[in-house]
Amino acid sequence: MSRHALALAFVLPALALYGLFVLYPLLTSLWGSLFQWRGLRQMGFIGLGNFVRLFEFPNSDRMFGALGHNVLWFVGIMVLQNGIGLFFAYLLFWSRKGAAFFQSVFFFPAMLSPVIVGALWRLLLAPNGAVEWGLNTLGLHEGRLTVLGDSQWALWMLIAIDAWNWMGLPVLIFTAGLRQISYEVFEAARLDGAGYGRMLFTIALPLLVPSISSVTTLSFINTFNQFDIVYVMQGVQGNPNYSTDTLVTWFYRLAFGAEGSVGITDIGLALALGTLLFLLLSVGSVLMLRGFDRLSVRP
Amino acid sequence: MTMSRFFATLPRWLVLLLWTAIVMLPLYVLVVSCLKTTQEIYADPLGLPARFTLDNFVSAWERANLGRNLVNSFIVTAGAVIITLVVSAMAAYPLSRFQLGWGTSMLALFLAGIMLPIRLASVELFTLMRALGLLDSLFGLMLVYASIRIPFAVFIFANFMRVLPRELEEAARIDGAGELRILFSIIVPIVAPAVAIVAIFTTIAVWNDFFFPLILIFDNDLKTVPLAITNFVGQFRTDWGMVFASLAISLAPVTAMYLVLARQIREGAGIQGAVK
Repeated sequence: MSRHALALAFVLPALALYGLFVLYPLLTSLWGSLFQWRGLRQMGFIGLGNFVRLFEFPNSDRMFGALGHNVLWFVGIMVLQNGIGLFFAYLLFWSRKGAAFFQSVFFFPAMLSPVIVGALWRLLLAPNGAVEWGLNTLGLHEGRLTVLGDSQWALWMLIAIDAWNWMGLPVLIFTAGLRQISYEVFEAARLDGAGYGRMLFTIALPLLVPSISSVTTLSFINTFNQFDIVYVMQGVQGNPNYSTDTLVTWFYRLAFGAEGSVGITDIGLALALGTLLFLLLSVGSVLMLRGFDRLSVRP
Repeated sequence: MTMSRFFATLPRWLVLLLWTAIVMLPLYVLVVSCLKTTQEIYADPLGLPARFTLDNFVSAWERANLGRNLVNSFIVTAGAVIITLVVSAMAAYPLSRFQLGWGTSMLALFLAGIMLPIRLASVELFTLMRALGLLDSLFGLMLVYASIRIPFAVFIFANFMRVLPRELEEAARIDGAGELRILFSIIVPIVAPAVAIVAIFTTIAVWNDFFFPLILIFDNDLKTVPLAITNFVGQFRTDWGMVFASLAISLAPVTAMYLVLARQIREGAGIQGAVK
């Protein structure tokens, strides 16, 4: 057997699985978005017809609503999770003692299924729940706590819970990144009289660009795939009144028939939305990685 | 007080301990609530139970059929991890160690999968699974999970294998060992850390997922733990003690794994985060 044939034989099982269950459905979804659908049956070719419908009433409301929520979610995660995560990582970098302990505790929620996280927080935040009890006892709040039923608050609560869930990840990535910076650089700066804040902005951040790049891209991909927490906490409609609806919950309703009270599927629209999201995610993450790559400095 | 003293002492610890409390308190509430009656949970959410009882666990176990769901989750997770490890190690071996003209592009094709949002292809995946007769099948679910995890696994294996010295397999080849033998009895043991990273992160991802069971599994007897829990929580929301007990049962296995493997998981998450 030639070396090439041998290599191919070794690659084949992985390639077959990956091709069949990942690449094939993805390519047929992209292609299928150009067709008209009746139920799960593919009808005639209609070009960009499905895409046009995405931007027309009544779908445009859902579309821009969900897109806006995803954008807010991304911004919220960048600030609440990655910003604070970077701060924690910087604190841990300067206090090596106990760092492993705190990293392990902070990362623990990431071990839990979003189902557990969502259900746990829904119970904690419910009227009569532990959070209401705590706030009332501390005198910070009075009466019933109804944040999850309040369209002003619900989305932000979900974002905060998502940040609680994944906080450990930026902490781990940023501490690992900080440890790769040679300690002498900080020592020299300190001798020159730079404070911790100054060192963060002039030394740590510029040298952390590769870590910031992966954390940002990862958050971007995860945010625009947001589904689980919404489904578990607010239902597939993104209650209340679609205020926590995301692109993927809407996609799910279109694809699997939970849109409207009678449960109608609209596969054509779902595939068009999927294709659009696919483009957004791939173009967005490539641009992000490129941009960060240009920013990064070699120590 | 100067910035350096601010960072050097007490406030730093307070900040870190504050977040520790924010992480631990909800989990503490979950654990003590398992042991309380619903009335007790309402009256005093943070207090310890008046009387130690496992009633909630018993009724959660009996009414939710959690035993069956746990077995399903174990089967799917173990199967997916084994398939992912074997096929990814096999693929990464020639792609990282043979001089092949097409090796780099093949590797790139696999790596693209790390970023592909497969959920967006779930309609066509559903149709495909129906055509293959793999709906409502734990084996089908296993194959889907393995396929989704292959790109990450190939990437990790290829990175670990690339740096090994070439003499390793050359001597074995002269002795007449076959390539499969070389891979599994020489290379794989040396890249044990890669095996651990792939195994741990595949386990976490598969054990916790509920999206694919949601679209591919309809039979109650075949549901995995996360999917069963979503239904259960909605159904028995008034019996909080029992709901908390079912959550505790479902998080016990990953918690046990975390306590044993915390160090590998910490380091592995750093690597995974850096590549994902």
